[in-house]
Amino acid sequence: MNLVILSFILFFSLSFFFIGKARVLRLANYNIKNLNSLPEYYGYYLAAWCALPALIILFFWSIFELSIIKIFVLSDFKLDPTIDDNKLNLIFSQIVSIAEKKFSGTIPQNLIPYVEKFIALNKIIELSKFAVLFSAIILSLIFAYRQILKNIKARESVEKIIRGLMFLCATLAIFTTFGIVLSLLFESIKFFTSVSIFDFLTGTNWAPGRAFVRDASVQTANVENVFGAIPLFWGTTFIAAIAMCVAVPVGLFSGIFLAEYSSRKFRKITKPLIEILAGIPTVVYGFFAALTVGPLFRLVGEKFGLEVSSESALAAGVVMGIMIIPYVSSLTDDVINAVPNSLREGSFAIGATKSETIKKVVLPAALPGIVGSILLAISRAIGETMIVVMAAGLAANLTLNPLEASTTITTQIVTILIGDQSFNNPKTQAAFALGITLFFFTLFINVIALSIVKKFREKYE
Amino acid sequence: MRFILEINLRGSGRDMNEKIKISTRNLSVFYGPKQALFDINLDLVENKVTALIGPSGCGKSTFIRCLNRMNDVIDLCKVEGSIKVDGKEINTKNTDVNLIRERIGMVFQKPNPFPKSIYDNVAYGPRIHGLAENQEILNTIVENSLKKAALWNEVKDRLNQPGTGLSGGQQQRLCIARAISINPEVILMDEPCSALDPIATAKIEELIDELKKSYTIVIVTHSMSQAARVSQNTGFFHLGKLIEFNLTEKIFKNPDNKMTQDYITGRFG
Repeated sequence: MNLVILSFILFFSLSFFFIGKARVLRLANYNIKNLNSLPEYYGYYLAAWCALPALIILFFWSIFELSIIKIFVLSDFKLDPTIDDNKLNLIFSQIVSIAEKKFSGTIPQNLIPYVEKFIALNKIIELSKFAVLFSAIILSLIFAYRQILKNIKARESVEKIIRGLMFLCATLAIFTTFGIVLSLLFESIKFFTSVSIFDFLTGTNWAPGRAFVRDASVQTANVENVFGAIPLFWGTTFIAAIAMCVAVPVGLFSGIFLAEYSSRKFRKITKPLIEILAGIPTVVYGFFAALTVGPLFRLVGEKFGLEVSSESALAAGVVMGIMIIPYVSSLTDDVINAVPNSLREGSFAIGATKSETIKKVVLPAALPGIVGSILLAISRAIGETMIVVMAAGLAANLTLNPLEASTTITTQIVTILIGDQSFNNPKTQAAFALGITLFFFTLFINVIALSIVKKFREKYE
Repeated sequence: MRFILEINLRGSGRDMNEKIKISTRNLSVFYGPKQALFDINLDLVENKVTALIGPSGCGKSTFIRCLNRMNDVIDLCKVEGSIKVDGKEINTKNTDVNLIRERIGMVFQKPNPFPKSIYDNVAYGPRIHGLAENQEILNTIVENSLKKAALWNEVKDRLNQPGTGLSGGQQQRLCIARAISINPEVILMDEPCSALDPIATAKIEELIDELKKSYTIVIVTHSMSQAARVSQNTGFFHLGKLIEFNLTEKIFKNPDNKMTQDYITGRFG
């Protein structure tokens, strides 16, 4: 239904574009010089006034439509104290699917009057939607038409409309972020009502599966002390640190080489090749880590008499480091290239060698960008999931030994939410709590990154 | 047509004691297939200012960049011919370019201070070449260089502030201080005042006059009046060729070549 309305609105505004253009030309006796703006601007003006108010009304109408109907339809049930919110939602979705003839199974007879009520209400609301939209279009068209007859400066008005649209798009992204945070927050709050936030952030025992074991032997294990997330925080930091030990030196030096030493031809071929690393799906890296690197480390470890588990933090970290090399190298290369050549020449002209120039002039000037790229790589490493799921194991060990299995926040979120889950127990809610912790973690890193970059900018600009 | 220039210094009433610091013979420069300089023969006199003038793209900057081998940095650039500094050939493969650049400093068209503090900008060269054994000597070098560049009084209270925060004229003087901090023998200046206002320009010109007592200076300029004010010798370039080279006074009052005459009087270029 809404699709039909949308196409009508589009058709209207398209026709009024041409109508407006033609009308204004007639107004100007077919001489553009008599107009304040080019004729198509009047067309755009009319088209925008036709479409925008209607679209805004349609948008909000679609959002609130269903909830308004719901309030009316369910008003009887509300009086019954035995029915809670979850049940209300279930009843309402049953009503909707019956009304839309999508309900499978026998239709509960007691709901039929409500279904009829729903259909009737829906009809009324649909009709009034048409009426409101139509009158909105007519009213705004009348207004806009009178405006263009006054030969207004349509070019400026169109400029304002475009600016408004862009502003809308920009705010949309911000609201989405807020939405994500809020949805995480609500679930996390539910989690923290059953598990104290202090235990979650400081406990060292992570075994969410045990929260529901009703076995007599572990009866004493209560909900509080199986949700200690410290091993996860540690595993995440540890694996990310291993990854950075690989990615930062390799990425930095290859970036410097590409930017300063390699011939143009070599760079043209090599840079895309390195960037391919970033394009490989992380699952494939996971295979690589679990089937090649992990066993290889084990083999090498055995030669030296070390005990290496086949799923180790080291394997996952190293492969993750390889994955983020291009983030560091590519950005480093770009940033170094952005350092003005005049600085290099200034240094050469005093008799500095190439490596002295790079070390003392180019790198300090490029430092904010390099720090930024490294921090970007870190947040990428912290958020990485697939490689760790496949290569680092699930054991929540609190260990300094990189050869043992380890686990991360992301891995645990995945294992918690895999398969059929109900969302009203602490185990699944723990995933949201982990999610929001991860969110604040990366937010914290980004804030630090930005403040470092800003400080360097202030110093150097 | 080919201009062959006989530089008869002795015939034009020159001082017999003048010492030639740098001399080029048959110096040609190619950017890929394109030849930018044609057989330049030119002598730069010690402790004198030599100005190079000529329309844009005539090869003046290319020429001075040959003298400290800065053209090495540019891909595809090939320099042929002889460049002798104190009688020693420097345009060879075995020449240590870093040593050449230590002896022949350069100031660029656009001020290019490093994004470091004023102090570190000047201390950069001495640190690289190990000229100061301790902090005190380094401080003295920085102070003296800034004094010589006539910048000391303006910046002595804020030596640890960024050099990029100075005004354009101050930045250029900072670059001059940077160039003289390692005590070079020659300073090459590539249109050092083209990005500056008249007051800053006047300061730099005054400075050049002062600096020529201790250094040999080559200055590329688009301003005829600047060449006339600051230089003792002037060379006129056109389309990659050295058309005329003589005492500045002679060039501006009574040039031998018709083209020089036309350029100086503003009839072309």
